[in-house]
Amino acid sequence: MSTRHIAIAIGVAVVMAVLAVVLGRYGAYLVNAVAIAAIGALSLNLLIGYCGQISFAQGALLGVGAYTAGNLGNAGLDGAVAILGAGVLGALVSALIGLPAMRLRGLYFAIATLAAQAILEYLFKILDPLTNGVSGLVIKPPSIFGIPMTSDESLVLPSLVLLVIAWLVVSRLLRTDLGRAFLVVRESEIVAKGMGIDVGHTKLWAFLIGGFIAGMAGALIGFANRLASPEAFTLDLSADYIAMIIIGGLGTWPGPIIGAAFVVLLPEVIQRVGEAAGISDILSALRELAFGLLIILFLIFEPRGLTALLSRIKLRRIGVVPPAGLRATGEGSQSPEGRSR
Amino acid sequence: MKKIKSAAALVALALAAASPAKAQVNVCIWGTITGPDALVNGMSYGLRDYLEFLNQTQGGIAGSKVNALLLDGRYKLDEELKIYRRCADEEKAVVVNGWSTGSVQALRDQINTDGVPFMTQSFASEVLDPKKYPYIFMAGPTYEQQMTIAFRDLAAKGGKKVLIMAPDNEYGRGPVNVVRQSGIIQKLGLDLVDTIEFRYDAQDLTPQMLRVKSRNPDMVYIQASAPQAIAILRDAAKVGLPAKLFVGNLYTITPTIPEQLGAAAEGFRAIQAYEPYGAEIPAMKQIEQFAAKATVEKKDIYFMKGWMEGIAISAAIENAIKKNGGHPPSDIKQFRQSVREQMEALTNLDDGGITPPLNFANHQGSIQARIAEIKDGKYVPTGEWINAS
Repeated sequence: MSTRHIAIAIGVAVVMAVLAVVLGRYGAYLVNAVAIAAIGALSLNLLIGYCGQISFAQGALLGVGAYTAGNLGNAGLDGAVAILGAGVLGALVSALIGLPAMRLRGLYFAIATLAAQAILEYLFKILDPLTNGVSGLVIKPPSIFGIPMTSDESLVLPSLVLLVIAWLVVSRLLRTDLGRAFLVVRESEIVAKGMGIDVGHTKLWAFLIGGFIAGMAGALIGFANRLASPEAFTLDLSADYIAMIIIGGLGTWPGPIIGAAFVVLLPEVIQRVGEAAGISDILSALRELAFGLLIILFLIFEPRGLTALLSRIKLRRIGVVPPAGLRATGEGSQSPEGRSR
Repeated sequence: MKKIKSAAALVALALAAASPAKAQVNVCIWGTITGPDALVNGMSYGLRDYLEFLNQTQGGIAGSKVNALLLDGRYKLDEELKIYRRCADEEKAVVVNGWSTGSVQALRDQINTDGVPFMTQSFASEVLDPKKYPYIFMAGPTYEQQMTIAFRDLAAKGGKKVLIMAPDNEYGRGPVNVVRQSGIIQKLGLDLVDTIEFRYDAQDLTPQMLRVKSRNPDMVYIQASAPQAIAILRDAAKVGLPAKLFVGNLYTITPTIPEQLGAAAEGFRAIQAYEPYGAEIPAMKQIEQFAAKATVEKKDIYFMKGWMEGIAISAAIENAIKKNGGHPPSDIKQFRQSVREQMEALTNLDDGGITPPLNFANHQGSIQARIAEIKDGKYVPTGEWINAS
């Protein structure tokens, strides 16, 4: 974690905070949604982008966080404790989801996470005492460190603080032995074993840390929506998060944040463009199509996502021809950081 | 000549600038333009079009132009919660019309805090409480009341065994639980032989139909919408269950069902709370007048529901404006509060025959409905309006 990273993370948070203040309640809600999505995307990027473990259970993990924080908050605990509790349970559930990764790899493991998503969705519907079933758990506005968080604007600050912390922690983690082990496991488990890395142990840590961050993001979703409902944590949500990290740039440092902003704000942009052009009805129908099309285009033309695209634009602007590794090749999705190691 | 034209244009501009700007009334609607419930989204268009009709024919409501913004909630909770905030905050809507059961349940406390009159397309009884949720209104009998109407009809005809099918979400399970716990089924002398749940987006319900067949019910009540009813009736026909066995709630009354299923839909019954599109009623003349100048997106019963909601909402807004001396209150909070009070005060409101006269003291408008049956590919009422209370 360099000083530059710290400065960028804090700078992004400050810009988002200013936007939340300037744009009013609706703007604050959007900023909060982007911040929460970015935290969730950071956790998934750790798992998929850095450790190579494809997970389709992110939506359910966020749900675990939301229900946990909701129950703890409703029981009268401080919001900060509720968020931490959500992180802990998220980590435990994530580790459980990750257990099959000890034996399974690639597509087979991905299918196992798909099953985990389905099981958790089912549990959300039937564990009435904890989840209030299909009606969903109504969550009281929390107090964080004794400060009541009753408005959309008030929730922005905790989300941004957690975003900065999660972003820098992930950044720092990648400079540790464990972080480097993640990258080796991603590239080749056989090589990792050859290097003396305990592959199972490494994967488990990725699930624990990723789950902790996802749990906290889920808690923030619960506090923002004031409801944890099974309908909110479906496979669709998992797909959205996978889209975020692909579009932003799989295994890149700023990718999750850029991808989260893109995925959260794209529908809004399409809606506003449609309204301005008087064709919002048509664009509504095309929105999902546009979303899917964008992902396909990214996979074909810029698999390293918006992060790489922005880097190339920046290099072109200063007159530097991007090296082969930074040109869109359609092959691989290794990050520039991964290569530099 | 050119100079005269230029001078005239300048004068016109100056006059336009000098004249006080007419206040605009914002009404925000979110439906499911896309999403699993898109088949029954006519009410969103109906409401928008009625308000536009007022703009065309009366210059808006009490002289104020209405800006009706229609947004797509996609039946996704996060999207709907986001849209609500845009409507309440950015658009400064005096009335918000929202879609799903899940969203209105999530927003019920927020709606109270914001003090926004909210007309929901859901019929969930959990949000119908004029004291606890004074800003939430709906336009018809609750899902539980609809079920009661169907069960009364079964009991009156000597039926005994009833089975309920519902999706495993709040829209399905919520009302079914309320009815089961209320004891109404037993009071009517009926026996609930089974409750079968299915995924809201299920494509094949053949196994569930085999289970229905094994229970041999006298009536199967469908607490779901048209897309699910189509799957149910299609798969029921596969296992030899006739459509006349099934009764659906008021979101299963769409021409799409007989169009798609043909003979397999004959005899299917549904709760009808509104006159259908094309009925010989005064409201239809207004709609035809509107349709002569604009495109009607959905020519179905749900469009009629939306048109009726427009009549009720605009009447409340008009009364609020009149009460304020003929112009909308400048303070949006005061305006919303006044509209809420006027909405609640609507008594015997004539909606052009779409429903019996509306009374919103109970926040429902009308609690009357009847049962319609598909005969020769069309829904035909089987009796008179029944009061669900």
